[in-house]
Amino acid sequence: MASKKDEKIEYVKNGKRLDGRKVDELRPLKIEVGVLDNADGSAYLEWGQNKVIAGVFGPKEALPKHTQDPYKARVKFIYRMACFSVPDRKNPRPARREIEISKVCSEALERAVFIERFPNSSIDVFVEILDSNAGSRAAALTAASVALADAGIPMRDLVASTGVGKAGGEIILDLNKAEEDAPDAVDIPIAIMPRTEEIVLLQMDGLMTKAEWKKAKELGIKGCKQVYEVQREALRKKYEAAEKPEAKKNPEAEKPKAEEKKTAAKKSEKVSK
Amino acid sequence: MSEKKIVVPGDLVTEQRTRLGSHVFTENGKVYSDALGLVYEDRDSAAVVPLRGKYIPRRGDLVVGIVESEKFSVYGVAINSIYASYVSKQEVRDRLKRGTVISAKVFDVNEINEAKMEDLRVFYGGEILSVTPVKIPRVIGKSGSMLAQLKDGTGCNILVGRNGWIWAKGGDINLLKEALDLIEREAHLSNLTNKVGDFLKEKKVNK
Amino acid sequence: MNENVLWDLKADKVNGLAKQDKRVDQRALDEYRKIEITKNISENAEGSANVKLGLSEVVAGVKMILGEPYPDSPNKGTISVGTELLPLASEDFEVGPPRPEAIELARVVDRGIRESKTLDFKDLCIREGEKVWICFIDMYVLNNDGNLFDALGIAALSALLETKIPKVEDDKIVKGEYAGKLKLSRKPILSTFAKVGNKLFADPTLAEEKAQTARFSVSTSEDDYLCAFQKGVSGGFSGSEIDSCIEMAFKSSKEIRKQL
Repeated sequence: MASKKDEKIEYVKNGKRLDGRKVDELRPLKIEVGVLDNADGSAYLEWGQNKVIAGVFGPKEALPKHTQDPYKARVKFIYRMACFSVPDRKNPRPARREIEISKVCSEALERAVFIERFPNSSIDVFVEILDSNAGSRAAALTAASVALADAGIPMRDLVASTGVGKAGGEIILDLNKAEEDAPDAVDIPIAIMPRTEEIVLLQMDGLMTKAEWKKAKELGIKGCKQVYEVQREALRKKYEAAEKPEAKKNPEAEKPKAEEKKTAAKKSEKVSK
Repeated sequence: MSEKKIVVPGDLVTEQRTRLGSHVFTENGKVYSDALGLVYEDRDSAAVVPLRGKYIPRRGDLVVGIVESEKFSVYGVAINSIYASYVSKQEVRDRLKRGTVISAKVFDVNEINEAKMEDLRVFYGGEILSVTPVKIPRVIGKSGSMLAQLKDGTGCNILVGRNGWIWAKGGDINLLKEALDLIEREAHLSNLTNKVGDFLKEKKVNK
Repeated sequence: MNENVLWDLKADKVNGLAKQDKRVDQRALDEYRKIEITKNISENAEGSANVKLGLSEVVAGVKMILGEPYPDSPNKGTISVGTELLPLASEDFEVGPPRPEAIELARVVDRGIRESKTLDFKDLCIREGEKVWICFIDMYVLNNDGNLFDALGIAALSALLETKIPKVEDDKIVKGEYAGKLKLSRKPILSTFAKVGNKLFADPTLAEEKAQTARFSVSTSEDDYLCAFQKGVSGGFSGSEIDSCIEMAFKSSKEIRKQL
């Protein structure tokens, strides 16, 4: 499985990919908001096999003091992979890849956040990859942006991200590991602020022509917008979830954390069935 | 109160020219939300009330604070802000110890959000409860209706700080906590004052 | 601290001129500074180069080391790129473990070379599953006046173009003897652009970097391929701005390639 076969694989056959997706189809994406109690904002995200949890703390005083900027906040984004999140155990020491991803994602989020409103402060975003299968940085950035919104951090827009690229000569959205291992694979992580389509993260490796890039760019932006819809829904759901106890005439709400109990009750119902 | 529109950061609030309230910004003449929250729009202004957020001091805010440090001419006071806040020693006659609970009014906020305060009052005893700062307006209610109800229903002496800290003494503080939880959980829903009223009455009867 | 304020003023000037399509050093927006390449600056290195890009100066050296292949590619050698921002290059650089800036520089240069497929990693295999060449490209910044990405990219490629493969006997390197030169099939050039206001500057100086809101680097090959992208700094680009950068990169890289 690990070694690349030189024999020809058709990555798109009759409009379908190896895993049955269409060329412009994302893997199943699910986002849950407000999953961590201590964090100011948080999100849990599942995207295909990728599983990611993000927690936001701040704005708070930036430390050490020399990192303070009297004109703006810094967004400190820390991307880390759990040792068990990859086929071979990952060394727990932060790898250069993780440090680079953290840097470009910080910069992408700084564009969206109104950092100038919080001088000398730090907005810390911690993302832990629990399981991975290509596209984990897009997953991390997507989850982080939702967690920032959950924390009430003022932003121009959400940041939506996806992978796009090439496998077997075909331009496809959201590559999985098998596609990323294609001999001619090109991987392009891209993130935009959906309202203006401003590109806030863009990386690429692999060989591609200008014409292929044009196609990939359009597909990538389209993909980001699909991701954005899932992000919006997840955030709105947080309100709707809070609204449910009100639907009952006699407010169950007097019991603290009524909703939690309700969902717990639902779960046990399912189990008993 | 009618149903309010839920918005996420970057959502359009209105295309009309209007006075900007909190948590909105303009781009190319249109008004957008900068937070996850509810839209409050009236004839001449638009604002978004976020679901969560940290306290940033504003001029005129009444806050509850705890004396944290003593410097040459000022006391450093913790007011649940990420930025330092001070009150001049000229404001107080007695020396304040670390841990003293006070209330004060913010009269100046500098460019890095540090607050200077005046009109200091010292509180003895009691407890500090905390609520997400963005929900404080709901704890006070329209012309103080919610707060009056809370005082009435719990028998507590209450002072609500804009910074999300609430000083309370006497009465049924546990009941107050539960009522605040309820407000915090359902602050964005309509009919909150009545609901809290019912809740307090019911609790009283049960006792 | 005083330094920072001074840079703020320099950045203001850059921003002011940008509105009139001008640059402080009077270059055209898509024009590179003078490039000077000195090859073979270290005899111990298998290949090396010093590159001056305006006042920015970097060195790169290659060491070929025998190693074991990765289990998932038993018939392939590999490259490893490292960058150090030497404290002698700028007051902003400090001693200590590599900072994210240095890691990003190294990884972007690495991708530009690796993904262009200029090196066939199978050529670096000595005995499948057992012995392969690992080509270490180590780079040092000696003076920073902006656009370290491109300076390092040119230095790495120049050093690789000079690299001799050591002779091997009984799985050991014979010091001072060589079995030929490293084969490169492409010459990927990294081109970096700074967004200042709504203008795009090729080959930004340090002052222009202080004024930039966003940065974009693209590696291109002589046979019209795009090999790597990297967007940096906390601003954004429109899709058409990215396309303009790509067009400019194809043009300027042709000129740079002639000087290699």
